[in-house]
Amino acid sequence: SNMTFHGECVNQNPDKVALLLSFVSCVREVRLFRRQTKTSLEVSLLEKYPCSKFVIAIGNNAVAFLSSFVMNSGVWEEVGCARLWNEWCRTTDAVHLSPADAFCVFYHLKSNPSVLLCQCSCYVAEDQQYQWLEKVFGSCPRKNMQVTVLTCRHVTDYKTSESTSSLHSPFLKALKTENFKEPPCCSLLEQPNIVHDLPAAVLSYCQVWKIPAILYLCYTDVMKLDLITAGAFKPVLSSRSLKGLVKNIPQSTEILKKLMTTNEIQSNIYT
Amino acid sequence: MASRYDRAITVFSPDGHLFQVEYAQEAVKKGSTAVGIRGTDIVVLGVEKKSVAKLQEERTMRKICALDDHVCMAFAGLTADARVIINRARVECQSYKLTVEDPVTIEYITRFIATLKQKYTQSNGRRPFGISALIVGFDYDGTPRLYQTDPSGTYHAWKAKAIGRNANTVQEFLEKNYTEDAIANDNEAIKLAIRALLEVVQSGGKNIELAIIRRNQPLKMFSAEEIELQVTEIEKEKEEAEKKKSKKTT
Repeated sequence: SNMTFHGECVNQNPDKVALLLSFVSCVREVRLFRRQTKTSLEVSLLEKYPCSKFVIAIGNNAVAFLSSFVMNSGVWEEVGCARLWNEWCRTTDAVHLSPADAFCVFYHLKSNPSVLLCQCSCYVAEDQQYQWLEKVFGSCPRKNMQVTVLTCRHVTDYKTSESTSSLHSPFLKALKTENFKEPPCCSLLEQPNIVHDLPAAVLSYCQVWKIPAILYLCYTDVMKLDLITAGAFKPVLSSRSLKGLVKNIPQSTEILKKLMTTNEIQSNIYT
Repeated sequence: MASRYDRAITVFSPDGHLFQVEYAQEAVKKGSTAVGIRGTDIVVLGVEKKSVAKLQEERTMRKICALDDHVCMAFAGLTADARVIINRARVECQSYKLTVEDPVTIEYITRFIATLKQKYTQSNGRRPFGISALIVGFDYDGTPRLYQTDPSGTYHAWKAKAIGRNANTVQEFLEKNYTEDAIANDNEAIKLAIRALLEVVQSGGKNIELAIIRRNQPLKMFSAEEIELQVTEIEKEKEEAEKKKSKKTT
């Protein structure tokens, strides 16, 4: 478990603390299972479903982009789902997923099961990222696969000497591992090229295991579900990882618009 | 470096930033888009309406407000801050009219609002106003005016300007499409405002609110039907333009 307690507490009540520890670690566990059969996955996802292409969308705008452009251009079958809880979110148990829900679902393309997709709209906390990687990638991953990650960050995270009002957000930046040899579809993230959270964990993992991986990071000033921000991922459609997976772009744009209209009511603080 | 100099409004960072003022600009981007167009004989304000909750009265959620008979403004950012500024501006308009016996010029009331905003960036214990405003109207000599203010207290005159969420995208559209032809007549200026908003508004005409002021006429708010009419016209024109394009290529 990832929890530590100070000495005094442990000495006074070792049994209670042990119970609490195991309870807390259960609560923060990342569990991977199949929704259809309600059974847990015994091995890591990529051991059960080896793939040559793995596309991971993290965050609601990246998820909306993949939903409208990639998932609507083929038949995708759900192969697994991650369930987790942390202080920021709890993954939903709903069968029909709306863009506003928190979920982490894995799909593969029926016509080509070596293409895997992950739609992750929930926040995976720091202590859960290692578990997520272990349960998804496993402890000894294949090297002959290519990983593409899509995510968004607020433009104020982008390190630049210019003021953020002069930047034309949203814009795309790329960060890749050493073994990724293809040219990216946008400019690379300049120094100090620091990324955070689950995308950083995936890239680190791929770098260590020498898996070619690339992260496409969209810097935007609208972090909620937004048409312009989700549309900013369009250059990625020309990359080798997504080529062949997208068929109908005008129709996909319409589907993206529809996803936006099912958005939640905005707060009254800002008008 | 930012974290050491961004807690107090009255502290400059070593490289000259007033971080609280810059952060206030981010609050503006949380409000929905507003666009202002200055035509030859008309000024137009268009905004993206925010979706209201089921039990909420829509009438009380206006983004476009009249400051006087000949001036109106739209804002983006913190609702409560906007209410305070609008109230003070309205009082100032009447006070000026009673003192000087002339209606305010648009520049005067903009300068009043901007000065008020600037005071709050130099005062201990107070934070800046988190709104940007677009102020439009006609001066008594008949000149149309469009001004924009931001949380730092600066103000500028514009021919066309967008503020709020996705303002960059709308501003780029305006830069490409604001031509002398585009504002040649009143209807064209109205259509330009709506077309600019349609670039970023998620669900089309029903989420747009529009207000115009014509020379020597009071503020007019468009009804939902009138906006729908304009949107239909715009869509028709778009279709015709695309047909012409495809004909040319074949």
